[in-house]
Amino acid sequence: MSFEIMGISSALIQKQSVAELEKCNDLTAQFGLRLSQCDAVDLVKTRNLALKDNGRIEFGGGVIEKIIREFCNSPYLSMHNYAESLHDLTDMFYYYKNETLDLMSDDDLIKFMKQRFDGICQGSLELLSGRELANMARNIRFGYTSEYSEDLACNEEGEDDDGES
Amino acid sequence: MTMANLEKRHLIDSKNLSGESYFTSILHEAYAYGLLNDSEIENIQLQCIKFLAYKSERYNDGESSSIRVEAAESIMKSNLYTIGLYLKSLPDADCAVSELKIGKIPEMYQKGRVLINGKVHSAKHFYIMAKANKITTLNYTYNATLDEGIGIFFKAYNPDYAAHEVMASIDYQLCNPVTDLTGVEFVLKYLENLFIENEFCSYFDAEDIHHLLSGYDEGYKDLLINIFEQLVTATLRCTLANRSVLKLDSLKEEIERLQDELAEDDDYLIALKIHKATEKVLRELRITTLSLRRYIENSLPRITSSIVNAVRTNTLGKTFVSPTNPDLKPKIQFLSSAKMDDKDYREFINELLICRYSSDKLALIKEKVKSFGDIEDLLFDARLSEEEITSVLDIFRDVEIAELIRRHPFKSSIQAVDLSETEQTLRLYVKSYVDQLTTERQERIFGLVNHLMVDER
Repeated sequence: MSFEIMGISSALIQKQSVAELEKCNDLTAQFGLRLSQCDAVDLVKTRNLALKDNGRIEFGGGVIEKIIREFCNSPYLSMHNYAESLHDLTDMFYYYKNETLDLMSDDDLIKFMKQRFDGICQGSLELLSGRELANMARNIRFGYTSEYSEDLACNEEGEDDDGES
Repeated sequence: MTMANLEKRHLIDSKNLSGESYFTSILHEAYAYGLLNDSEIENIQLQCIKFLAYKSERYNDGESSSIRVEAAESIMKSNLYTIGLYLKSLPDADCAVSELKIGKIPEMYQKGRVLINGKVHSAKHFYIMAKANKITTLNYTYNATLDEGIGIFFKAYNPDYAAHEVMASIDYQLCNPVTDLTGVEFVLKYLENLFIENEFCSYFDAEDIHHLLSGYDEGYKDLLINIFEQLVTATLRCTLANRSVLKLDSLKEEIERLQDELAEDDDYLIALKIHKATEKVLRELRITTLSLRRYIENSLPRITSSIVNAVRTNTLGKTFVSPTNPDLKPKIQFLSSAKMDDKDYREFINELLICRYSSDKLALIKEKVKSFGDIEDLLFDARLSEEEITSVLDIFRDVEIAELIRRHPFKSSIQAVDLSETEQTLRLYVKSYVDQLTTERQERIFGLVNHLMVDER
């Protein structure tokens, strides 16, 4: 008789999550993106592993679905890298949930990831994870806004000084 | 045997149930006795997990679908604690099992949550009462716990997500410690007990309590002692010596007599005498409050065992403490002559630093330094070796060494963590110097340390 919560993920929940992911194909088909059942099963496995690695627990699915809905219209995603990118994005998501000390909501974090992925990172997952998300997490931990940049702050200070002189 | 005496037989023995984790222990017991089968247990587990999911969502304000495992575990413990509180409120464990079979976890939680609110309210009430009958004492832990430590609980307690935690700084130890309880139950019981202890202590004058505790140890203000226990023991000592208990007085000879008298009795007889003495104390103090009488009775085994132990080891004087008035002790005021001028002192230190031989340094110190204050300063400034410091200390008389020890008492490396390195080194050298003195001289010096007045300047 155990109330340990790490062992909750039952086969039933997993099956339900796979079905939910497959349903997303209806939406992503218009962008030429599609997950096979095998991909969906792998993604759910990745999610479980990421949760375990990051010491988190999730009741009900939802996050991969949210990632898919947000990222499906990205110009940097195609069938060639779709499933692989979703694995990386899922991993990143849970890692940075911890790194931001849970101060950022799921939706805000996913939106931030999408904005940077399509914008400054130009589809590079390495830049997104290693630079943009890392900077953002540091900003959040130090009490700045997620957009804060030291370079920008220095420039603004310099401009203020010029204005004064 | 009349019908009224018949007791219902319970399958689950309430002694096997844990007060802290009542819910899980009752499930274990019920499962072990076959009162709950596998599917019922599974159903309860599933309901608990569903409820955890609901609470986790609320914890995250619906903004996050995942939660840290530690946070989830804490919420789960809190939920189970709250449900356990409700189950505890049922007439017996069998009723609790029936409730588990038919009841819904969220409903049981809500009922437990209402009980928690009631207990927090009661705890606040007891806190106010315990503060109202607080005794005047110098004891730090007593004051800190009652004035601030417990107050933290009412600000920090989170009954929704951490009902099982005791967010308070409770350092003062009760005579009857609260065990097997946690969360608000612990705080409530602690405050109830503290209120009862205060009630007993308030029968005595604050000054008499101060003298009694000073007799126990002059530094009692920094000790983790229980004042109530000291008072009960003192009242027993008074009663056994046929004295009035109110003033807590005693003579050394009385304690010696009691030691001789009790040494002849066996443990059972001593316990009986203590029990009778307790009855006498209760009568003399006109204690009628049932809760206080019961509390004193519950404290007796602990007090009796310490008295019996003291009698057997011939150390009754340490348990039956004689009150002392620390203000009446002879005091020595240590006055040091005026220090030398700062400029002269700097020149002297420079001269001392360039001395090559220790003998020269010592000769220079003897020649130029005329005040204790200057010597104390140079022990820090002149970068003397241990042998040189020992030579300087050799010049000192007992009272000067005593004053040096009073100003720079030796502390273990953990206690001395805030001290500067030179201060730590000096204290260590002084300690090694004193350690190598004869026992007689050491006793003389430490006797003087106790009599030296603290410099108020």
